[in-house]
Amino acid sequence: MRLFEYQAKQLFKQYALPVPKSVLVNDADEIRGAFASLKPPLALKSQVLAGGRGKAGGIALVNDPTEAEREARRIFSLAIGGERPNALLVEEVYPHEQEMYLSVTLDRGDRAFVTIAASAGGINVESMAGKVIRKISLDGIDADFAAEIASLLKLPSEQARQLVSILLSLERLAREKECELAEINPLAVGKDGVLMPLDAKVIIDDNALFRHPEFAKLHPEDEFEGEASRQGFAFVRLGGDIAVVGNGAGLVLSTLDLVGDAGGNPACFLDLGGGAQQERIEAALRLVNRLPGVDKILINIYGGITRTTDVAAGMNAVLAEGVVKPIYARVSGAEEEEARKLLAGTPVRMYKTAPEAVEAVVKGA
Amino acid sequence: MMLPKQGDPVIVQNMTGRYGRLHTRLMLDYGTNVAAGSAPGKGGQSVEGVPVFNTVAEAVEKTGARSSICFVPAEFTLAAGEEALNAGIKLLVIITERVPIRDELRLLQLAQSRGASIVGPNCPGLIVPSQRVKLGIMPAPSFSPGSVALYSRSGTLTYEIAGQLTGAGFGQSVAVGIGGDPINGTTPVEWMDFVQGMEDTKAVVAVGEIGGDAEERLARHIEKSGYSKPIVAYVAGRHAPKEKKMGHAGAIIYGDYGTADSKIRALTAAGVKVATTPVDVPVLLKQALG
Repeated sequence: MRLFEYQAKQLFKQYALPVPKSVLVNDADEIRGAFASLKPPLALKSQVLAGGRGKAGGIALVNDPTEAEREARRIFSLAIGGERPNALLVEEVYPHEQEMYLSVTLDRGDRAFVTIAASAGGINVESMAGKVIRKISLDGIDADFAAEIASLLKLPSEQARQLVSILLSLERLAREKECELAEINPLAVGKDGVLMPLDAKVIIDDNALFRHPEFAKLHPEDEFEGEASRQGFAFVRLGGDIAVVGNGAGLVLSTLDLVGDAGGNPACFLDLGGGAQQERIEAALRLVNRLPGVDKILINIYGGITRTTDVAAGMNAVLAEGVVKPIYARVSGAEEEEARKLLAGTPVRMYKTAPEAVEAVVKGA
Repeated sequence: MMLPKQGDPVIVQNMTGRYGRLHTRLMLDYGTNVAAGSAPGKGGQSVEGVPVFNTVAEAVEKTGARSSICFVPAEFTLAAGEEALNAGIKLLVIITERVPIRDELRLLQLAQSRGASIVGPNCPGLIVPSQRVKLGIMPAPSFSPGSVALYSRSGTLTYEIAGQLTGAGFGQSVAVGIGGDPINGTTPVEWMDFVQGMEDTKAVVAVGEIGGDAEERLARHIEKSGYSKPIVAYVAGRHAPKEKKMGHAGAIIYGDYGTADSKIRALTAAGVKVATTPVDVPVLLKQALG
């Protein structure tokens, strides 16, 4: 789960990491109030999870309340990577001459957590020059370890001292809150030599959330994502017109590819998960049937242990409830012939292979 | 890594749970020698006629098992895995999904220090058709004995592609789902090196998906090591959006990191034939085997 910048910065404060003075506003009308407690110039930063908010116009520098209100209205009306900002972080601008990079992150390939540091920050970590990468123990790091990183970056002694303290706090935060990523980019060096994190990116390990109830209700959930998660489905909205439903993440991914290759636009990715019984099929069909923008439903089920007759019974149960969008289904596995018989005479179109079902759903035949 | 053979005793952890019971029966039906189960506080019970013990240590002592399949819920998987590895289990298959990353890393470190292998978590397990042995939840009819080694990061996609291979007359020497998490107990490179040494394996099918750089690493390894067996790959997620977790914890693209295009480019450059769809896998395999 990725935190919004303002949430990540609240977490930074808990771990004694410095952050610029700021106020969170949820409405452009509140923006004038920010000038009572903050000293301009101020940065208005849209709180979205999508990347590239700067390029998309989601950040503005303002000097007075009138300009701030105008810019706030503009930013609140943006859709950044399809996401409308619910809040603006209004922050004092921190004058600085240099930007560094610091993170604690999972290195999947090396199967270890690492710290990455660079004395010149940048958008792309991959191509960052002179970066230092060191594996870190699951039990944490000590001041000597952090000092070695600072010395590899060839920092002046006062900055090195600050970096050690920041890295120790960041690593402790990443470890205790079980982050996949805790990143400061940029870590600014002020004109007076004081280090200040300007942005904060924190991704919590979703699978560890049961140990961290404090993160349970941090995100406003969309109605469909909430419903899908209560049902135990893996669900992603995609914006097209063909709902794609299947059992198994890889199988559904591969079905999205077939739809995309055939020129179709998936409306969602829905993985029923293991043991796709009748009730789960019913719940999934009801959910995608009322998802805005859906015109057609594609089902791809490779039944191993799942009985295809259960799948057919689930479809029939939903069909009996009333109007259902056209269903194109490939259901392979045990009792296939019986499943076909159960669906004979219904609007469900059955296909032998996934490519056949996909071709039909895209053409709308 | 040591593959289980016909008759080798196998332990099922959390045998008395819903999935433990179901798959104990299905593994027995296939031919696996499920010799004992473990479940804290359930010692003395039996499932499908197989005795259940309170601890893995007891089950190991009574049966001599060196392999275990774990159906323990994610919250307790770290403890269950440690229990198994400390009891002398050398092949630990973890089916459980949603295991925290740091728990996986701790288990991996312990396994390495004990000279043991982990398959998974978040995986369907492994199957050796010629031995009629499976330590997994895969549907047996999709698989048949033969000389193609198959690995995949995904469950149902493993069955789908195994089914395509079986339908085209390509049986499998071994098939494994290595897991859909960011951390795999056994990596593609480790797996490919292992099957390279299997005499009954003539070709390899590698099934990847978006997220991470396992396929790019595999491609570099193939080039560097001069891998000797023909390889056909498939990578799912060419049309997946960025920054969205696509079902598997590990199936996520960050920026340009983890895209299907990058993986397909790397594998192709390493001489691997990459199929566009699962149904193309046997077609390319036929060409590769000439």
